[in-house]
Amino acid sequence: MAMDLDEMLQKIKDRQWALVDIDWDAPGAELIEPELWAKLKPFMTDLMWIENVGARGFAALAKKAPTPTLKSIYEHFHAEEQKHANAELALMRRWGMLENDEIPPPSVNVQLVITWLDKFSDGMSLSILGTVIPMLEVALDGALIKFITDEVKDPVAQEVFKRINSDESRHLAVDFEVMDILGHADIRKLAVDFVGSWMNPVLLIGTLSYFPLLNKMRDNIVAMGVNEERLYQAMRRFQSVGERSAFARRVPMYRFISWHAKKVIDRSSKYHWLADSLVVVTGAIPMPLVRYTPSWSNELTYEPVA
Amino acid sequence: MTNTISTAIIGAGFAGIGAAIRLKDQGITDFVIFERSTRVGGTWRDNTYPGAACDIPSRLYSYSFAPNPDWSHTYSGSAEILGYIDSMVESAGIAPHIRFEHTVTGLRYDEDAGEWTVLLQDREPVRARTVILASGPLANASLPDIPGIETYEGHKIHSARWDHDYDFTGKKVAVVGTGASGVQIVPELVKVAESVKVFQRTPGWVIPRVNTSTGGWLKRLYKELPLAEKVMRSAWFWGHESVALGVVWDSPFTKVVEAVSLANLRMQVKDSWLRRQLKPDFSAGCKRLLMTSDYYPALQADNCKLVTWPIARLSPKGIRTVEGIEHQFDAIVFATGFDVSKTGTPIPISGVDGRDLASEWSRGAYAYRSVAVSGYPNLYFTFGPNSGPGHSSALVYMEAQIDYIVGAIAKLFQFGWKSLDVRPEVQARYNEDIQRRLQSTTWNSGCQSWYLTEDGFNATMFPGFATQYVNQLRTLDLQDYKITEAVAQTIGEPVLTA
Repeated sequence: MAMDLDEMLQKIKDRQWALVDIDWDAPGAELIEPELWAKLKPFMTDLMWIENVGARGFAALAKKAPTPTLKSIYEHFHAEEQKHANAELALMRRWGMLENDEIPPPSVNVQLVITWLDKFSDGMSLSILGTVIPMLEVALDGALIKFITDEVKDPVAQEVFKRINSDESRHLAVDFEVMDILGHADIRKLAVDFVGSWMNPVLLIGTLSYFPLLNKMRDNIVAMGVNEERLYQAMRRFQSVGERSAFARRVPMYRFISWHAKKVIDRSSKYHWLADSLVVVTGAIPMPLVRYTPSWSNELTYEPVA
Repeated sequence: MTNTISTAIIGAGFAGIGAAIRLKDQGITDFVIFERSTRVGGTWRDNTYPGAACDIPSRLYSYSFAPNPDWSHTYSGSAEILGYIDSMVESAGIAPHIRFEHTVTGLRYDEDAGEWTVLLQDREPVRARTVILASGPLANASLPDIPGIETYEGHKIHSARWDHDYDFTGKKVAVVGTGASGVQIVPELVKVAESVKVFQRTPGWVIPRVNTSTGGWLKRLYKELPLAEKVMRSAWFWGHESVALGVVWDSPFTKVVEAVSLANLRMQVKDSWLRRQLKPDFSAGCKRLLMTSDYYPALQADNCKLVTWPIARLSPKGIRTVEGIEHQFDAIVFATGFDVSKTGTPIPISGVDGRDLASEWSRGAYAYRSVAVSGYPNLYFTFGPNSGPGHSSALVYMEAQIDYIVGAIAKLFQFGWKSLDVRPEVQARYNEDIQRRLQSTTWNSGCQSWYLTEDGFNATMFPGFATQYVNQLRTLDLQDYKITEAVAQTIGEPVLTA
C-alpha cells in the first residue's frame, strides 16, 4: 500500500529531538576502551561528514520534490542529517577527541564528494538523486551507525544512535517510497532520463568520487578489526528492500546501483581493481589541492544551544 | 435603538475614510463610521514597526481626489501615510462621523424594512439603510501556530502590534517570517540588536527599490501645478501596469522579472549557498514581490544570520530547529502577516431570508465585481473577494470600489428604492469568468500563498490590469441588480453612469 506522505510528514514533526534533550556530561564515556578510542576519531569524523554530505543530498532533493509535502519532508531530512552530524560531533567532544573548538576536517574522499555535491547536485534529476541518496544512506550512514552502535558501550552514545536510527528508518521508508513512485513513470521517460543523465559528464565525475569513498570506508572498517561483511549486509539490504517494489525495479538508475552493490559485495570482481586504484590515486592527492569549504559544510556545531 | 442612518461604514482605515469623503461629495452626510480602535488609519495605524513603509510609490498609493504634493520620498513610511489619512479626515471634516471604540459584531438584514441592523459590542444596535464593510483584509494579526509558542518566556512581538516600549539595543533577537514586513524589519533591527537571526520558510522574489527624497522645488511644482502631479501619478500607474505582464500572468515577461531579481541577488549576495537559500522556487508574482534594497545587505551583516532549518518548536528560551540546535533569544519578532479572511466572513452577516454569508463563503469568498453579494442587498465591500492587485496600488482599486459603491448608494436614495441586490445568475457568470481567467495567472501557478485557500481556491486576487479592474467598476449596470422599490415593486432599468 502506498505511503501517506502527509501522515509521514506529521510523524517526522512529532518525533523531533534536539541536542539539549541529551545529557552530554552523563557518566559512561569511560566505557570506551583506549584501543577503540584511538581508532574512533577518524571513523567518527568520516561518519559525521557523511551525515553532512547526506544533508546536502536531501537539500538537492528538496528542490526537485514534485509536491509541497515531499519537499517539506526532504527539508526536514536535510536538517535531521545535519542534526546527526552535530550529535556525532558532540559525542567526539564528550569523548575528549576535540581540541578546543576543533572541527576535524574531512578526508580527501569525503572532500571530493562535498565539492561535487556543492557544484553539481542541484543539477541532477529526481530519478538520479532519489536512487543515489538512499544508497548513500544505506551503505554508508546506515552501516556505519549500525557498526558503531554495536561497538561503543557508552550509554549516551547508545541513546544518540537510537534516536539517529529512528530518524534513519523514516528516511529509508520515504526513500524507497519515492523510488516506487519514480518507477510508475513511463518507461520511455525513465530511459531518456537515465541516458540523458549519463550524457552529462558531471554524473561520471560524481560516480568516480563515490567509488573510492565506498571502498575507503570499507578499508577503514577493516582497519578497525571489523568484518567488512557488515557493510555488505547493508548493501544487500538496499537490494532486498528495493526488490520488494516492482516499480522501483523499473528505474534504470536503481538497476545500475543494485548492479554496483553486487560488484562491491563480490571481492573477486574486477570492479575492485578500479575502485581500489581510485582509493590509491585519491589518497595521493594533497589535501590543500582539493580543500574547498562551501558555507553549508561550515555549519557543524557540538553546542546544543546557540 | 437610534434612528436609521443612511450609511454605516465599518472601519476607519483608508477605505472607510475614502468612502466617507466620497459620500459627502455626493451630499450624503447622514453616515457613521464605526471603528473598533481609538484612532483612524487601519493597517497604517497598526503597522508601526521600525522600517514600516509602503512598497508602492506614494504618488500612486494615495487617492486621486486627495492629492498630496508634500510626500517626502518616493516611497513613504507608515508615519507619513498615517499623517496623510489624518489630513484627509481633517480637511473633509470626517471626524464628527467617526465612533471610536465601536466594535461591530454582526450585520442582520431586515427585508421588510430594507434596512441593516448593525450589532455593536456592549452597545445598542444601529439601523442603517446601507452598509459599507471597509474592515480591510489586513486587519487581524495573531501569533503563528508553532508548537510550544505559549511556552516561550522571552518577549514576543507581532509586527502588526509593535511594542515601542521594548528596547532592542544589545538584545539577541529572532525574526520569524521573511515576507513584506520581515524584509523591512530586519535591516532596522540589525542596526541596534546584538544579534539577529532570521528564520525563513520560503524566500521571496526581491526587487531593488530606489527611494529618493522629493526635493523642495518638486513639491512646490506639484503644489502650484497640480497637473504635474497628475502626470507623475499616471507615469507610475502605467509603469506598474507594464509590470502586470510579468507579475499577474505566468508569461515570458515573468522570466524577465525573475532575471532582474536574480541579477540583484547575485550582485548583493556573494556566498553561493546563501544565494541558493534566498532563491525562490516559484514563479515571480505568485507571492507578493518584495521591494527592498536593504534586506540582503542586512542579512550579511556580522550580527545577522539567515536560518532556513525548519522550526521544530518554541521552547522557554528560544527556537528549536530541526538540525537539533536551540537558538536562544531575548525577543522573538513574528513578521508572519495577517489572518486574511478567504473563507467565511470577519463578522456574522445574515442577509435575505436569514441566509448566512459565512456558510456561503465557507469554501472561498466570492462577490460581484468584488463589491456586492447576491442575497445581501445594500451591503457593499471594499477590498472584497478578487479585488487584490498583485502589481499596482491598492488605493487605485479602492478608489474605483468606493466610487462604484457611493454611486450605487446615491442612486438608491435618489430614486427612493428600497434595495439593490445583485442578480445571482449575473454574479455566478462573473465569478465563473474570474476563476477561468485566474488559471493563467502566477498566483495559480502552483505555489502556496495567502492568496489561496487551503483547497487552492483564489478568492483574493483580480486577474487583470488595474485598468480592467477600474473599468469594470466605472459603470453601475442596473440590469445586473434586482431593484426593489419602496412599494416592493421590482423593476429593470437601463444602464446609468455611477
